[in-house]
Amino acid sequence: MKHMSKFTSSILLILTSFFVIGQTKKTDSIPTKIEKYGIRFGADISKIAQSFYDKNYKGIEFVGDYRVTKNYYLAGELGNENTTVEDDRLNFTTQGTYLKVGFDYNSYENWLDMRNMIYLGMRYGASTFSQTLNSYKLYNTSTYFPEAPSVISGEKYNGLTSQWIEVVLGLKAEILKNIYLGFSIRMNRLLTNTKPDNFDNLYIPGFNRTYNGDFGIGFNYSVSYFLPLYKTKSIKKSDKKKKK
Amino acid sequence: MKKIQFLIICLLTITFSSCEKDDICEATTATTPKLIIEFYDILNPTVKKNVTNLAIKEINTTASLTFTGTSKIQIPLRTSQDLTQYSFILNSTDITIDNEDYLQFNYTRQNLFVSRACGFKTNFIFDSSAPFVKTETSIPDGYWIQNVVINTFNIATENETHVKIYF
Repeated sequence: MKHMSKFTSSILLILTSFFVIGQTKKTDSIPTKIEKYGIRFGADISKIAQSFYDKNYKGIEFVGDYRVTKNYYLAGELGNENTTVEDDRLNFTTQGTYLKVGFDYNSYENWLDMRNMIYLGMRYGASTFSQTLNSYKLYNTSTYFPEAPSVISGEKYNGLTSQWIEVVLGLKAEILKNIYLGFSIRMNRLLTNTKPDNFDNLYIPGFNRTYNGDFGIGFNYSVSYFLPLYKTKSIKKSDKKKKK
Repeated sequence: MKKIQFLIICLLTITFSSCEKDDICEATTATTPKLIIEFYDILNPTVKKNVTNLAIKEINTTASLTFTGTSKIQIPLRTSQDLTQYSFILNSTDITIDNEDYLQFNYTRQNLFVSRACGFKTNFIFDSSAPFVKTETSIPDGYWIQNVVINTFNIATENETHVKIYF
């Protein structure tokens, strides 16, 4: 008997809630929000800046996203890097191009027609590149002989490729009309990696420095322009909740 | 939906947290191997024999390595050239009985990548036709080194004996 009453009362509750929703639609008293959809494109300013002050680095990254649904954005990056790494025991140059594609999920609830974002996303990244081993040192546990000078190599390894996944955490804020400033940090993990013979991919364009455990970390600072394509009207999420 | 997202984040954090330290070349990493020499008794070739006050000096280096009371020693090979010339002085502390022999090792080198922190290492392969050259010094006191046998031509680890010297 008790179960029965619970069942009927819940049915009644659902029905009444339908009534309420039905009514609100009729009365048209819910404030609506205009959502703009479009393409946002720009570039990573940190890579451009580094190209100026760091003689060992030349790089550029174009960023873009396309708003698919209210909170989901199709996103990607396309870049090219040429960097020389001067480590204690190794000196090498990595050159290559990369592409990252994926999505961003905006968890920030905007009011009015703003498109600021605090987002979480994922990317699939792929890079083709070359490594040039400029010089290296030989590791010797014996100190009997003075340490030999660096060995000049100059060997170039072409046609290397890597693929990886990234988890992106970032934010974008509108600083001027349709101009956005963005920052993101990325955690990367290698999926495939063709290593050169008798050397390693210690730096991968787009992936950054590699560590022993296929793990990497990256970031970008972007400036981008939003090009609105179309608009929709949507009911505020907070109001929807209230009525339920 | 929010819970699922949280779970995904948790899972990813776990998979990404498997990073390792890689900026220090650890002592356990196999780098450039030293030459391992074992000394045997010429009268009883299966029995190891300890050396006494054996000074080993590369002919262009002033410092010397001394070994005493051991039958197994480790000496470095030059990584910048295909030969290393050593002077082996037995009983080096007593000028009345000391005896100096020259031993030159001939080899080819292979530089192999180890890691970011260690850089490269050199492995050696003894020259197949003349792995070593034994010569007498200006003092004609005879050889104390009676026989030299190459046990392993490929010097890649320090776990095995590369050269056996009988005296």
